[in-house]
Amino acid sequence: MRIIACYKYVLDEQDLKINPENKTLATDRAAWKISDYDRNAIEEAVRIKEQLGATVVALTAGPAQAKASLKDALARGSDEGIFIQEDALRGADPAVTARILARAIEKIGDCDLVFCGEGASDDYAQQVGPRLAVLLGWPVVTYVNRTQLEGSLLKAERKLDNGMELVEIELPTVVTVTGDINVPRIPSLKQIMSAGKKPMQTWTLADLGITPDQIVSNLRNESVKGAVVERKRQIFKGDPVETVSQVVAALIKEGTI
Amino acid sequence: MSEEKFDCIIVGAGPAGSTAAYELARQGLEVLLVEKGDKPGSKNMMGGRLYCYSLHRIIPNFWEEAPVERRVEKEELSFLTEHGAMTISLDNEVLGEAPSHSYVVLRADFDAWLAGKAEEAGAMIATGIRVDDLLWAGGKVCGIKAGEDEILSDVVIAADGVNSLLAQRAGLRGELRPEHVSVGAKSVIALPEKTIEDRFCLRGNEGAARLFVGAGTKGAPGGGFLYTNKESVSFGLVFNLGALIKAGVSVAEAVEDFKFHPAIRPLLEGGEVVEYSAHLVPEAGLAMKPRLFTGGMLVAGDAAGFVINTGFMVRGMDLAVTSGALAAKAVIAAKEKGDFSADTLKIYEDFLRQSHVYSDLEAYKNVPELLEEPDMYTTLPALVVDILTDLFKVKGNPPERVQKMVMRHIRQKTSFWKLAKIGWKGARSI
Repeated sequence: MRIIACYKYVLDEQDLKINPENKTLATDRAAWKISDYDRNAIEEAVRIKEQLGATVVALTAGPAQAKASLKDALARGSDEGIFIQEDALRGADPAVTARILARAIEKIGDCDLVFCGEGASDDYAQQVGPRLAVLLGWPVVTYVNRTQLEGSLLKAERKLDNGMELVEIELPTVVTVTGDINVPRIPSLKQIMSAGKKPMQTWTLADLGITPDQIVSNLRNESVKGAVVERKRQIFKGDPVETVSQVVAALIKEGTI
Repeated sequence: MSEEKFDCIIVGAGPAGSTAAYELARQGLEVLLVEKGDKPGSKNMMGGRLYCYSLHRIIPNFWEEAPVERRVEKEELSFLTEHGAMTISLDNEVLGEAPSHSYVVLRADFDAWLAGKAEEAGAMIATGIRVDDLLWAGGKVCGIKAGEDEILSDVVIAADGVNSLLAQRAGLRGELRPEHVSVGAKSVIALPEKTIEDRFCLRGNEGAARLFVGAGTKGAPGGGFLYTNKESVSFGLVFNLGALIKAGVSVAEAVEDFKFHPAIRPLLEGGEVVEYSAHLVPEAGLAMKPRLFTGGMLVAGDAAGFVINTGFMVRGMDLAVTSGALAAKAVIAAKEKGDFSADTLKIYEDFLRQSHVYSDLEAYKNVPELLEEPDMYTTLPALVVDILTDLFKVKGNPPERVQKMVMRHIRQKTSFWKLAKIGWKGARSI
């Protein structure tokens, strides 16, 4: 069995700063990381591998600096890493990303299961998984909280707003996972060391038979700005007994308690 | 995979560890560099200044490619009383002449760059890994243990910082003594590039380094520092830990109060604190030096206590770089011999003795005693500030002869005898 874990290399949101003058994001000091839910996707693929035996291929596409992510993806337990290098993918729309990933998955061939995160921790568009399924002609199960694989039957628990949905589906399928599905491992020293020795490949769009006109984004990102929420700065003064009940009333009104 | 053995495992990707890894990897040795932080540099902190000569010997003109902030061409030393400051200021382009110049650096960037050089040279780097213990065989260190993983090597270089767990585990040092270390608290305060240049009278890439003695530490032994980065200043206080405990001063409070000192406030006005950190600094020099080697292991950098504080300059990274390079040289010598016993590895100490590391530490070995002197932080700043204040103030009264005025201040604040004693200590130590 071959399982693909797709991931996006994103800026660490903790390092983002907002320029006070124009509210744009200062990203120059920000580190890169594998998007949070995508770590869950890799972890789930690796857990299935460890239980049932499989080959896990970590797959990502992005500009040159994303190549550095392969080692981390491999240290997390993937067996192989494939990186599709294309600078035009910086800020590409999800349709383009899905097209490239789909073509790569077809090229890898003989895949049974594709894991994606429910959304990326930067734009959280939640589109790549479903779009990928359409392009592959496979079913998709989104927001999966638990998986159980019995032969070629996947039993998945979907986390929805108002409950759980249990789904049974025949492979091959695309699955997008939530952040609750597992706790991604912190790679150990040996896992990090072995990552350097695992096969890594870098493909170009030409390797996938994709022409530049096929990766033109329909979505244009005009700007990303930080939202600054002003504090309410309400101060309650006076008799403590009265003030406390005022504070509590205000908090209840705001829906915080 | 588990049988894999490295020539050398280096613990800690600071300047000592990364330099050692770089030197060894360049010679074709199998090297593993293990770092606890998620990235090299993420756990490291210092005031912010690197003297270039030592790394220049290893990577010539490294400043042309390394992430450095500003080249220091302005040195200032201030004596502070509660309201006043007497500053000695030196502007000299000569200070900026390579390779005996210095740069202000931000460690998160600089350490990552240096570790990257080691990786380029062929060292394997593993970050986010805490090394828990050493492995032993036949009375010699033969590897490391991190979590469940045991990795073997001929030699381990402990470059794991001031509170070196590995040196302790190897029985090379005991617990740190409070009087041997300082605690540094630092803020990185963002200011526009232009503002920094205007406030500190700098042009282009020039930088300023300022040290403060006196009121900043509320009279406790230690000092303040301020270094200019490109678009921020590194600012903070360093306290001798032993004295700090005795004085009962809160570091965080002292830093906050220091920001509002009349000599500091205008420098930081409008700045925004973007980073806050604290770290221990080894400051006792040779007095705290652990044993530097045992079978299969060497100690380098802060872990070896290689920091010099002269009162007017603090040096650590340059010594760390040299000690890392010399540790690598010792490992290469041992590998040629095929013997990694303490008898062979003691050549490391010989290398250090022949290098500037020992001569520098030896030359300044009495400084800690001078810096313990409480009068350095209270009486002396008050003396210079008050004497100069009286010198420059016009009160409309009959003038006091300068010599008489100076005598009066000395008698009021201290005594000739005490001053002479400090002078003697000073002359002996620097």
